[in-house]
Amino acid sequence: MAGSESAGPSQPWGELLALAQDETGERALLERLLGLWCATHGAAAAALYADRRGSVEQVAVVGSGLPVMLDSAALLQAEPGRLRLPGGWLLFSPPGSVRGGGDPLLLLFASALKSARLRHELKEQQFQVNYRVVELEALYDVGLAVAGTLDLNRLSEEILLRAVSLLDARRGALYILEDGRYRQEGTFGGEAGRWFAADDPALAVFLGGGEEAPSDLLPGARYLLGVPILFENSPRGLLAVGDKESRRGVGPFLPGDRRTLGLFANQAAIALENARLHLRALEQERLEREMHVAAEIQRRILPKEALQVPGFQLAGWNRPAREVGGDYFDMFPTRGGRVGLVVGDVSGKGIPAALMVFTLHSALRLLLDQTEFGPPLLERLNRHILESSTPNKFITMLIAEMNPRTSTLRFINAGHNSGFLVRAHRGGNGGNGKVDELPSSGVPLGLLPNGRYQMRETTLDPGDLLCIYSDGITEAESPSEEEFGNDRLTGVLRRHREAPLADVLEAIRQAVGEHTQGRPQGDDQTIVLLRRDPV
Amino acid sequence: MTESLNVTVDRRDGLAVIYTEGYINNQGGEEIARVAYKLIDEGFKVLLLNLAGTKIVNSIGISILIEIIEKMIEISGRLGFCCLTPTIEKTFHIMGLAQYAPIFGDEASATSQLKA
Repeated sequence: MAGSESAGPSQPWGELLALAQDETGERALLERLLGLWCATHGAAAAALYADRRGSVEQVAVVGSGLPVMLDSAALLQAEPGRLRLPGGWLLFSPPGSVRGGGDPLLLLFASALKSARLRHELKEQQFQVNYRVVELEALYDVGLAVAGTLDLNRLSEEILLRAVSLLDARRGALYILEDGRYRQEGTFGGEAGRWFAADDPALAVFLGGGEEAPSDLLPGARYLLGVPILFENSPRGLLAVGDKESRRGVGPFLPGDRRTLGLFANQAAIALENARLHLRALEQERLEREMHVAAEIQRRILPKEALQVPGFQLAGWNRPAREVGGDYFDMFPTRGGRVGLVVGDVSGKGIPAALMVFTLHSALRLLLDQTEFGPPLLERLNRHILESSTPNKFITMLIAEMNPRTSTLRFINAGHNSGFLVRAHRGGNGGNGKVDELPSSGVPLGLLPNGRYQMRETTLDPGDLLCIYSDGITEAESPSEEEFGNDRLTGVLRRHREAPLADVLEAIRQAVGEHTQGRPQGDDQTIVLLRRDPV
Repeated sequence: MTESLNVTVDRRDGLAVIYTEGYINNQGGEEIARVAYKLIDEGFKVLLLNLAGTKIVNSIGISILIEIIEKMIEISGRLGFCCLTPTIEKTFHIMGLAQYAPIFGDEASATSQLKA
């Protein structure tokens, strides 16, 4: 150590002056002077201490055995001798009968302590100025994170860490408002409550500036500070920090800290909102992709083209209200060269309804391989649908089997709209455009565990036109909310009963379109047509 | 995330690496200072603080790090930092720490340059 060897009063003053002029040699100068003081007073070691808040800090020392730092209480019980100086202390050993006053070196020490205090204050102020810059940078950086970080988890962690760091807090928690409650998104420095009701009165008081917070907000924290995270004046979450640190431990937050945390929360709100919207957009994109796949699967289970049956014409058409729908139709060969026709309508729309359509399609095709067409088929199908579906989900269905050799049509209507059979002019069933109905004869599938169904039978005369459809056709509404209705549908069927089936389908679509006048399609629409060739 | 700081030391030939894991606050800073001063007492004059395990530092922690830097200058030693998060590196630059203690991207380059 520079001043550890004692320097006598004859030490050249030139060397001391040179040290005094060298800014970096201040400590060395003081240690030289302490050395002089020790030599004068017969001390082996001496150290100069500057007063700090509640403690003293060593400024210069010669010799050994003197502490670097000690608090005020320890100082008064210190074993070495001590002299009180303005702004600090001179400690020395061994303790002797040194008295203050009259020693010019003590005046120099007092001056050095004043200089040390000013330098310390300057350093503290510079530190505070620099730290204000860090605060501003943190606010700016969180603003930048709007563009840089769209990962909500990473962003939340970044916001929480920066808030804790910025406020010199020991702990913190970030909550996001979701479905009427604040859900904990992240915590630092300890546990925190999982969620709080958004209308929790204690929370409202705390966020309004109160000092008492709900006990679970940051358990273990003695001092709390919290602010709401607002986006366009609408709450999005809350940010809470606990226990402000200093060199002496933890204490309450300062009045300016609420403003700093509030500014930070404002920036965080923009970043969080942006990340939330991004997340929602990604989720939407994922749902759309899945919906697209579901729609493709659904398109594949619907007949790609009409079944070819000599002596008969068949056509089918379906347009879901959304990308995927709850309507189903099929036409397929059954036992004995017969032909099956079906139109089903699942309650509800979208993916849940589409899943039921898949269930219906699979179950029906499998059961038809094992069971003859008739009520037992529907009863088994009903039980299967009931077991596979969620409560309040059901399917209305009209299923028919036509024998091309006998032109007989057997059908079962499970709570579905009546089918329409438009009789031809010269037919034996009344003819001249008379419309027979294929009415419901049982409850929808999946509604009751012991659903019973009746099978009915009719004959198709040459030119007779059968139409099975879903309620998306007859319940399509005009701008004045008037339904298209059965009469308009049977009217179109009668007018076009001799036209090619593709034209009949087009006529129905056009009539419905004219009726709704561009109103969005509210429900899935399905039509299946069967006509016996005219003679 | 934890509030406590774990410190480990790797003593090498003429250099000691101090690894931190956790929050450099008052308690964490004091722990680093305790370890650093012990290493100085052991005779180490070149110290490297590897902050790879630290994501957060507050102003109290920074003021303690500044004291360690001052101590190193006082004994004509060298102190460096490595593996800082971008946020901490930026903070160290603003607070002036980088002016007296170089910051390195990785430990290998830090040790080779501090020992040179």
